[in-house]
Amino acid sequence: MNVLELKNVSYRYNDAPKDEYVLKNINLKFKKGKVYAIKGKSGSGKTTLLSLISGLEKKYEGEILYKDKELKKYDLDKYRSNDVGIIFQSYNLLPHLTLKENIILSMDISKSKIKDKDIVIKRLMNEVGLDESLINRRILRLSGGEQQRVAIARSLSYNPDIILADEPTGNLDHETENEIMKIFKKLSKEHNKCVIIVTHSKNVCELVDEVYELKKEKKGSI
Amino acid sequence: MYIIKNAYLNIKRNISRNILISIIIIVIAAACTVTLAIRESAEKIIKSYEEENKIEASITLNRESLMNSFREANKTQEEMINSFNSIENITEEEIENYGSSEYLNDFYYTIETSVNAKDITEATDSLVKETTETTTETQTRTENFPGGGFPGGDHGGSSRTTTDKKTTTKKTEKIFNEKLDNGAFTLVGYNSYNDMKEFIDGTFVITDGEVSSDFESNSCVISEEIASLNNLSVGDTITIVDPKDSKKTYEFTISGIYKEEKSETTNASMFTNSANKIITNVTQVKNILNANSDLNSTITPTFILKDEASVDKFIEEVKNKGLNEYYEVTTNLDEINQGSESIKNVRVFATTFLIITLIIGGVVLIILNIINIRERKYEIGVLRTIGMKKSMVSLQFAFELLIVCLFGLCLGASIGSACSVNVANNLLANEISAAQSKYDNIGNNFGVAGSNMKDYTRNNKSFGVAEVSKINTINAVVDFKVLIELLGIGILLTLIGSLGSMIAISRFSPLNILKERS
Repeated sequence: MNVLELKNVSYRYNDAPKDEYVLKNINLKFKKGKVYAIKGKSGSGKTTLLSLISGLEKKYEGEILYKDKELKKYDLDKYRSNDVGIIFQSYNLLPHLTLKENIILSMDISKSKIKDKDIVIKRLMNEVGLDESLINRRILRLSGGEQQRVAIARSLSYNPDIILADEPTGNLDHETENEIMKIFKKLSKEHNKCVIIVTHSKNVCELVDEVYELKKEKKGSI
Repeated sequence: MYIIKNAYLNIKRNISRNILISIIIIVIAAACTVTLAIRESAEKIIKSYEEENKIEASITLNRESLMNSFREANKTQEEMINSFNSIENITEEEIENYGSSEYLNDFYYTIETSVNAKDITEATDSLVKETTETTTETQTRTENFPGGGFPGGDHGGSSRTTTDKKTTTKKTEKIFNEKLDNGAFTLVGYNSYNDMKEFIDGTFVITDGEVSSDFESNSCVISEEIASLNNLSVGDTITIVDPKDSKKTYEFTISGIYKEEKSETTNASMFTNSANKIITNVTQVKNILNANSDLNSTITPTFILKDEASVDKFIEEVKNKGLNEYYEVTTNLDEINQGSESIKNVRVFATTFLIITLIIGGVVLIILNIINIRERKYEIGVLRTIGMKKSMVSLQFAFELLIVCLFGLCLGASIGSACSVNVANNLLANEISAAQSKYDNIGNNFGVAGSNMKDYTRNNKSFGVAEVSKINTINAVVDFKVLIELLGIGILLTLIGSLGSMIAISRFSPLNILKERS
């Protein structure tokens, strides 16, 4: 069963001419337990596609089905806080909060009913390869790799079906990139998550199960 | 709950900015506290003034209307007096009927009647009319003139008829005010000091002795003119005589002598002359009236109205109940409003100042909050991206401002309350002084020393004015009501301050924010 399916999805910016689409007639299917890569050159619409899938943008044409139901019919705030975890290249953590506070905030927003959140956070930290001693450290005092791990841990904290990652290793060295990719692979296989990574890294593309490429010349055709 | 926790963490993070906002709110809160305290104090004084100076209505003869009708009908003075006599007095039953109105708190009345007094010279407003009637009697007398006669006459003599008697009759008719026909003096009975409006408003002032506090005794107060004309002084006894039965006499002891400072009118007389007024209590007047049912009396009612809104309704009701067209309901509303005008101005000033403070404070807070929001766009973007609803993000920002506001309000209220007593007392000093002066003056009008005035109060009322000792300083100006109002202001400022952030948050696109960040 497809956890996510795109049917003839097209998108153009509000201020763009009527026939100038960033994405045109995109048809994709995503399943749980797999890691997908969407690659393409700059301006090919990778991040735009991710924003559509994550529910951050909803003025698209065609259909995006999450569990066979049109995404627009969902409460998109709830969808983002419960069903999909988003990881950005620049991590997008709250710098004034500690590692723990960042993750707890995300759990709170998803209205998680877990009582002992500390235990869950420590488990997540172990899964993403973070040392427990960092739990009360402020985000700005963590390295780039650590921050990205925190972002992954945060996205897992409410147990979503889909993990969306926008250039998750773009700011990281090759070794850390491999470690992060191992985490994604582990999540897909052991936790049955659907991981969708937007990237232009060949290394990442080699490590995933399926690769989709967006070609700029054809305005989003695959 | 996490919203509040997050708000608290954000306040800690932006401590310097929040200290700045706190200082602004402290200033606003202090200004508002002082203003609210002044407003509250002013309202208390006004309320106290209005409680003590009840809105009163009385039924008086509408002389203007009466005279206009006389003029229109070209009536002579005789006709005017007769017309006036035909106007029926207000009866006790009518007063009871009007007094049952739902717009009243209470009502009372004074009774006055006309009496004579032995060996006392009185003033009069009666008219003596003298008419002259001439009667001509014609007597026919024939005179014969022998041997003569008119030319051409047939007789040898002539005769002539003549009228030779005129009778002139002078008639003296006394045209008088029938309402006062029983005697030369007006005996007025009161129930208490509170009913004696002439002394309270300064129309009458005691020049010697005092108005007795025993409202059942046979004491009386007479005018300076009568005392002077008849060489009477305090302690002397006068004998009141029933004008319709001179055998009935009543002894009164003069407890005080008053003089009239202002002109006054009564229902019972067209031409008032307070010099002939002998003031005593209702008990004594009723004794005289009960002893002779032929005596006329005039009842002057005073109706205590519930509030200002009741005035017109009561007047309408009384008219509907059949008040004679020549009578009108008059109230002391203008006097009361005049009395509290300056303090009301202070209240208006305080309210205006409060509104200006709130507007300025609100604008400053909006600007600060907009700057705050612009600087925290990234945070908003992250929160929205991880699924926090717009409403919750707005609520978190509102909570942050509310916590800072409450802190500022507490400090500002403390500073304001410390200043407000002095500020309020200084601003209201003139009002307090005026009230004290008025209280002292009324005591003098009754001939009673200030410190003894409390002995003569009824229902804790002292001569119908506020007991100034209670308001010579402004006590408890920052009370529960003020605190509630301050809390309301805090919430209002929070809402106003948050308004900008709410609009901004609703317009922010998380994707754009994060793109800008990248």
